Amino acid sequence: MAEIVSRVKRDYIASLIQQGKRADGRATDQFREVSVEKDLIKTADGSARVKIGKTHVLVGVKLQKGEPFPDTPDSGVLIVGSELLPMASPTFEVGPPREEAIELARVVDRGIRESESIDLDKLVIKSGEEVWSVFIDIDVLDHDGNLIDASALAAIAALTDVKALKEEGWTLPEFPLKEKPVAVTVVKVNGKLIVDPKLDEEQVMDARLTIVTTEDDSICAMQKGCAGSFQKEEIEQAYVIARGKAAELRKLLG
Amino acid sequence: MDKPEKLMIDGKRLDGRSPEELRPFKIVAGALERADGSAYVEMGNNKVFAAVYGPREMHPRHHALPDQAVLRCRYNMAPFSVDDRKKPGPNRRSIEISKVTREALEPVMFLELYPRSVIDVFVEVLQADAGTRTAGINAASVALADAGIPMKDLVSSVAVGKVEETVVMDLFKEEDQWGTTDMPIAMIPRKKAITLLQMDGHFTEEEFKYALDLASRGCTQIYEAQRQALKEKYTMRKEEE
Amino acid sequence: MIHVKTRDLVLPGQLIAEGKYKTRDGAFREGENIFSSVVGLADVREETISVIPLGGQYIPRVGDMVIGVVIDDHRAGWIVDIKSTYTATLLVSDFLRQKVDLFKEDISKILTIGDVVAVEVRSVDERMDILLEGGRPGLGRIKSGKMIEISPMKVPRVLGKKGSMFDVIQNGTGCKLMVGRNGRIMVWGKDEGMINNAVEAIFTIEREAHTSGLTDRIRLMLEKMKSEVN
Repeated sequence: MAEIVSRVKRDYIASLIQQGKRADGRATDQFREVSVEKDLIKTADGSARVKIGKTHVLVGVKLQKGEPFPDTPDSGVLIVGSELLPMASPTFEVGPPREEAIELARVVDRGIRESESIDLDKLVIKSGEEVWSVFIDIDVLDHDGNLIDASALAAIAALTDVKALKEEGWTLPEFPLKEKPVAVTVVKVNGKLIVDPKLDEEQVMDARLTIVTTEDDSICAMQKGCAGSFQKEEIEQAYVIARGKAAELRKLLG
Repeated sequence: MDKPEKLMIDGKRLDGRSPEELRPFKIVAGALERADGSAYVEMGNNKVFAAVYGPREMHPRHHALPDQAVLRCRYNMAPFSVDDRKKPGPNRRSIEISKVTREALEPVMFLELYPRSVIDVFVEVLQADAGTRTAGINAASVALADAGIPMKDLVSSVAVGKVEETVVMDLFKEEDQWGTTDMPIAMIPRKKAITLLQMDGHFTEEEFKYALDLASRGCTQIYEAQRQALKEKYTMRKEEE
Repeated sequence: MIHVKTRDLVLPGQLIAEGKYKTRDGAFREGENIFSSVVGLADVREETISVIPLGGQYIPRVGDMVIGVVIDDHRAGWIVDIKSTYTATLLVSDFLRQKVDLFKEDISKILTIGDVVAVEVRSVDERMDILLEGGRPGLGRIKSGKMIEISPMKVPRVLGKKGSMFDVIQNGTGCKLMVGRNGRIMVWGKDEGMINNAVEAIFTIEREAHTSGLTDRIRLMLEKMKSEVN
């Protein structure tokens, strides 16, 4: 169920952005208010809630014993899932995850996996037989745009909340978290780049580029989305914006 | 988790409650931004959101009814809401709970006011203890009122049960798992009308009558808290200056 | 016997009165008892009891001016979203004042999907088929401006008594407003700073609709915002 965006709204947002302004008065490189809360869910091994404006995402991490993948017998398993709950938006429907939800989970997964944020090699109980599986599940409760940044931030926040388990087979002093990747999505509207799009800005965007950076400002994952395109200069500019914003967001992880 | 040696010690339950006591609970009306109506409920360690959308157009259209609205409920557990991660998506249990949740709420609805439309109720369990369906119904009922949807009354819900020959109110996880009997109930407290009744285990006639009475008392307490939550959101506040 | 006063907050299932009163929207009868069916403010008249809801969907009534978005078209007109449970129909003949030959004209040249229209509710039948009218002065296609949405139940607060709040916002910002009964509001102004002030004032009214002294507070708020810009 797609929402039809009125032409008036589209024109208003696009013409302001062209002048370097935004409908809600923010600067083009300004996030809405971001909050990060941790340790909310007892049944999870780590959990976090991120709110960016009215966008509200909750992530739970669970560690469970399981079999390794045959091609990586000496590594733990990382699985990221996401549900765009129909409670979060009038346009989200009940049913199996659709491409939007799957892309969301996969982009979050890639940032964590490629930055080697979790030292999966330490999560082996018995080589080739038993390892710890890290399940990161994203519950989207309110959707007002920029779900990727909110979900990625909640995921890494929830990982920082994971403590050493008191279960048999767990031998590490703490959860082996090495890196805190942060995703920042830069969106192009009417030829201009902005960060943290609200839903109505997403509805008029030409293209979207998510850049996940690590603590040393290098890139570990990217994802371009939507029908429009970026020039090379725009991508370079987006990278500068993304690493600056990532540093700000990373401070909220505590 | 191993079975505790005893579930009742000196007339008290393992969490320190007396047999006729509810767990601590919290009800907030209007807890989400996008939904037309919403609520957040904690009952013991349960943490549950409910959101309501509608009445709105039914898609696909052939699922609509010509002379009334369709009430659609979806009960869902977050994968991290239970000790062993739950696979995302519906299963036989959640489909049954969705159905009985809908039927618990339908008796208070004026569905005939909105022909050809749908009212969607979404319940999301973020942290499960025992009695998630009762927490979900309590949240859904407040969320429906918060959405401005006409209702004959609020519906309140609690589970009662039996542990070691004692009938108890509002089971928590250990009692649910190791006790003899679990009986979730929803009612319209003002009318003493029961809109959800499920039971598994064993009750004698006398125990059953007492359990119904106990559930009724629990629902009345929850009903007051549901009303209070709505009052807190909607009370006309006078200017402080 | 009446159990509440006018403007008291009532909740679904709450007993409002006993006896031979008529009930209207928001109230229902069971035997001798009259209950509220919604969260709202009781309205107790001599013979009639109703409840003014504090939330919920827009319910279209004949004569309401609403702001709609065209979401589809068909042979003789358009389907318009009016932020209600039901979509409405705007026939070409109710939008243009001249005759149109539907076999020759391409009606998408008149209105297309995504267009915003100011329209009036012409009729609502029992099946909730809603017909709109858009041909009279003051109605028609809206080409530009900022459109915002608030709860339709808060629209009377944005207008205020005899339009007092509406005037406060227009005078305090220099913007022009158009307030649809369905909670859609158009704001036009010379610079977006003032438009944002008007929008913020409207959202403040929506948020604080249940407080008193609001008109004065909004006036002060707008004066303060104006002086901060200068």
